[in-house]
Amino acid sequence: MKLNALKLAGLLLLPGSALLLGSPAASAASGDVPNISGVWQWGRCMDGGPGISCMLLEEDDARLTDRAKALRDALDEAAAPKYDCAPMSIPHMWTDPYSHQIDQFDDRIVFTYGKDDVVRTAWLPNSNHKKPAVNEYLYFGDSTARYEGGALIVETTHFAFDPQGLNADFRLASSTQKKVVERYTLEGNDLVLEVTTTDPFFLNKPWVYKIKSARDPEELALPWACDQEGAREILKLMPPKYPNDPTVVRLPAD
Amino acid sequence: MKFITQLAAVAVLASGTQAVMAHHSTNGIYDQAVELELTGTVKGWKFINPHPSLTLTVVDEKGVEHDWDVSYGGSAVAHLKRRGYSIDTFKVGDQLKVKGHPALVKDAYGLLIEGGNPTHADGTPLALTPPGQ
Repeated sequence: MKLNALKLAGLLLLPGSALLLGSPAASAASGDVPNISGVWQWGRCMDGGPGISCMLLEEDDARLTDRAKALRDALDEAAAPKYDCAPMSIPHMWTDPYSHQIDQFDDRIVFTYGKDDVVRTAWLPNSNHKKPAVNEYLYFGDSTARYEGGALIVETTHFAFDPQGLNADFRLASSTQKKVVERYTLEGNDLVLEVTTTDPFFLNKPWVYKIKSARDPEELALPWACDQEGAREILKLMPPKYPNDPTVVRLPAD
Repeated sequence: MKFITQLAAVAVLASGTQAVMAHHSTNGIYDQAVELELTGTVKGWKFINPHPSLTLTVVDEKGVEHDWDVSYGGSAVAHLKRRGYSIDTFKVGDQLKVKGHPALVKDAYGLLIEGGNPTHADGTPLALTPPGQ
């Protein structure tokens, strides 16, 4: 079972270990706390636009800064971490068509995704979670959570610079200044997630969208177990962006 | 085995499957204006994430063998399982016919499947049984 992706986040748990953390029901049953534990299907945009368009920054999206476009044009697609099985971070991760699982505990919320063996933990105020050190930046950032007016709100900062941090298909990067706020509420039996992303280097205004998910009766199909050679296979179909440079020989697959 | 190339530009093939975003974009990789039909012999079938892949040995019009990497685009194992695929769907030596768009890099011999599933070489459909059917 390959779980290399988990090491990237720093604050991660295996899905099975969630059972050791306490009683999910105890934290999800009272007051302003919505019971959102369970498996949820891939979310769909609520803005009436086509498909998943609200979740995608287009190549020349008006919200991109000139700096973002210049970096996009310079980056070599073949250098993207995804070809080494690195997962996509938030918010781009939600565009992928996979279910995810939410587990609410007394001191934390655990999110498990159906792709890339990604598990994120968001820490509630009563946890003993320590903020990352000033020089510590994480692939999925550092997440804190709180309940407010029937909503679960997760705020994430301390992201590492990520060349695929805003869109992994168009080489749209995100900086250490990226902040992602997730607001989860229930609408009938559905889960509504509002995502607000800011990044003063690469976005000229907040990027906000809302998606809705139904409960998924099936369990997540894990482990994902990314095959590194398979992930790299398409590279041979790409013409080199910088043909005068020496041919890149990647490190052997793990 | 035969090799047919249709160089006439055609519209993007209708696809019966849900558009799938995933590990990589196929933008700029495949020539969406060209449709190709290949008939060949299965050399390999990897039912892996992020993307399953099929290797098909095809003999061209000059009698030269080429190994084609046949891609299901952004589909992962979970998506193909829902369509009835498994690790045993293809065996080395199976004769298949597949339609799709060729890679823009001509010598790379890549094909992006469009418009459904491969068929047996005689055109009969594969025996794919999605879960619950």
